[in-house]
Amino acid sequence: MNKTFQRIFAKAKSENKSCFVGFVTGMDPDYESSKQILIELSKYCSVLEIGVSFNTSTSDSSIIMSANDRAIKSGAKTEKIFQLIKDVKREITSDTAFVTMGYLNQIHVYGIDRYIEDCKKSGVDGCIVVDSNNEAPEDDQIFKGLTKNDMAFIKLIAPTNDSNYIKQSLKKCSSWVYIVSYAGVTGSKDVNLNNVKKLSKMIRKQSKIPIGVGFGIKSLDDVKKVSKLADLVVCGSSIVEKIKEGSQNGLSNKNLAQFVGEYVKQIAKGIE
Amino acid sequence: MKIPPFKEHNPPDNLGYWTNKKTGEKYGGQYISPLLIPNLKKVETGFKKAMKNEKFLADLEEQLVNHIGIVTPILRSKELEEIAGGEKKIGKIFLKRTDLHHDSSHKPVSAFSSVFFAKHILKAKKIITETGASMNARAVASACAKLNLSCEVHIGALDAEKVSLNKDITELYGADIKVCHDSTKSLLPAMAAALRSWQSDPTAMYVVGSVCGPHPYPLMVRTFASIIGRIAKKQMRDLIGKSPSTVFAVCGGGSNLSAISYPFYNEKNVDIFGIESAGKGIASGAHAATITSKAPIGILLGARSNVLMDADGQVDPSETEASGLDFSGTGPEICYMASTGRIKFRATTDKEAQETFLMMCKKTGILPAIEACYVIHAALKEIKKRKNPKENHLIHLCGSGESNVARMLKYKKDNE
Repeated sequence: MNKTFQRIFAKAKSENKSCFVGFVTGMDPDYESSKQILIELSKYCSVLEIGVSFNTSTSDSSIIMSANDRAIKSGAKTEKIFQLIKDVKREITSDTAFVTMGYLNQIHVYGIDRYIEDCKKSGVDGCIVVDSNNEAPEDDQIFKGLTKNDMAFIKLIAPTNDSNYIKQSLKKCSSWVYIVSYAGVTGSKDVNLNNVKKLSKMIRKQSKIPIGVGFGIKSLDDVKKVSKLADLVVCGSSIVEKIKEGSQNGLSNKNLAQFVGEYVKQIAKGIE
Repeated sequence: MKIPPFKEHNPPDNLGYWTNKKTGEKYGGQYISPLLIPNLKKVETGFKKAMKNEKFLADLEEQLVNHIGIVTPILRSKELEEIAGGEKKIGKIFLKRTDLHHDSSHKPVSAFSSVFFAKHILKAKKIITETGASMNARAVASACAKLNLSCEVHIGALDAEKVSLNKDITELYGADIKVCHDSTKSLLPAMAAALRSWQSDPTAMYVVGSVCGPHPYPLMVRTFASIIGRIAKKQMRDLIGKSPSTVFAVCGGGSNLSAISYPFYNEKNVDIFGIESAGKGIASGAHAATITSKAPIGILLGARSNVLMDADGQVDPSETEASGLDFSGTGPEICYMASTGRIKFRATTDKEAQETFLMMCKKTGILPAIEACYVIHAALKEIKKRKNPKENHLIHLCGSGESNVARMLKYKKDNE
């Protein structure tokens, strides 16, 4: 297991809490604001998941697609996201894990080995690659590269996946596994706790790996409920909506970060 | 007419890749969120079962013959021969008239087959699809109406304006049309929106309008569509006693190129040409010529293939007058065939295609889809260059131009 995640899970266990994961699209709405938002969120999040924008993603809702568009317009590029992570890490004191979330095309174009090398150099602790199928040759290359460099390969498991697919995914999954709570795109429905229970049971039959849950978690109550079932609670679309709202109201940099941070601070309390 | 049965002679591997043995480059595969993997496996298993199910295949063929009217003629065009220099200099030119199908394009063949497959093999109740020129949407919606399935169509906002007639017909057939305002507002974001919708509704079946998308779609669509080529090959044998010297088809995603040329892949003395849209010119960067412009390999909408994109992997918008060609990628099997050199590529500008449209109307009395004009222009140029009176040329006239009328009339008036 990646060492940052080891420490984070140990701390959460000693405090009898789960870990809060906050997602933002890197450089949404711009580099400096995004940097300030991440610095602010690091106070409330054990893990920061940073989206690497792709303009033709096949799994994101219009909320994330719009964030991707805003980020791309502000000049988001893979190498700039690495720079952003480095800059944020330089300014924070908390023990926060950093995860990148993106699509394979970006990594393929950047070069798989170069991507992993730059993840390592920037202090990334793990990667989510939404469309990297377990059977694809690129998936093996990413898995090997991340494992060799002590970074986590975080695989998504959906309610529609069978036990065979789960088994395949768990073989390549390290540090934690990400349960998608419903069949749909990010942020489009409410979190489905029955699916979470069913999938957790299937995973637990095969592995003791920590379980994260995402998709549809947008309130304090959602966080509280999911926190009872999972080791990590992922909140994405509603944070991204807050960024959009604050930004539309003319906030930027530290003001925007505080506005978003206030929201995250409130819902992150649910892990206690 | 007894239609020759399908034969697989260019299979991908088990994971859906076509691999170029010389370069080691892979085309195809299945790059998609885990949410869609079970849906794709269901389609894959169902498709294998369908291809072994003689009753299904016979029933499908009967419907294609009697409902779609798939046995469209191949007509010799003496007018085009004259324009290219005369029969004595260039040989004979034949047009495969898939514009005469039910719903006026080649699209109803793969669309109807996919919907028929969804109903009878997968037992689906709802179809999700996307569209560019709306030919696919119109064809899928028509099939859904006939087969009593509900139909959801995703269309880019810009395309919805360009081809409003086809869109209106699609609506009359009962489809629920969802206009997509994402990124370029054309076929590509519409396809991404359709995939996202399928992710939310696994009981539905997704129908791809081209030989694109994750495995098994490129394989399935070309297999269904290739009945066009099987019929054309037999018709050419009946007409001239042999296969043609050349086969020309336009290429956006690649479905109509696959449809007509697949049965000729193994016939080395048949030259196959795929024609792309050079838009305002390849050098301008405003085009849809993925192969001709030597676009790099990327991973787009579930498959590894050549993709128009920037240095950071953001997909570049394609630009062309023809909505049916407005796509930033090309199907993986076509990219593979281009990489081996089996299919040669040429590109026609929008202006050349528009002039060809007017020429076809005035000189041949045929109203072709603007998409077909890209291939007719390039074919005439190539045929003139070959200058071989012994040759027989086959051009795929893949659609009718009703929905282009308003824009073409404006073009005509603006350029008079």
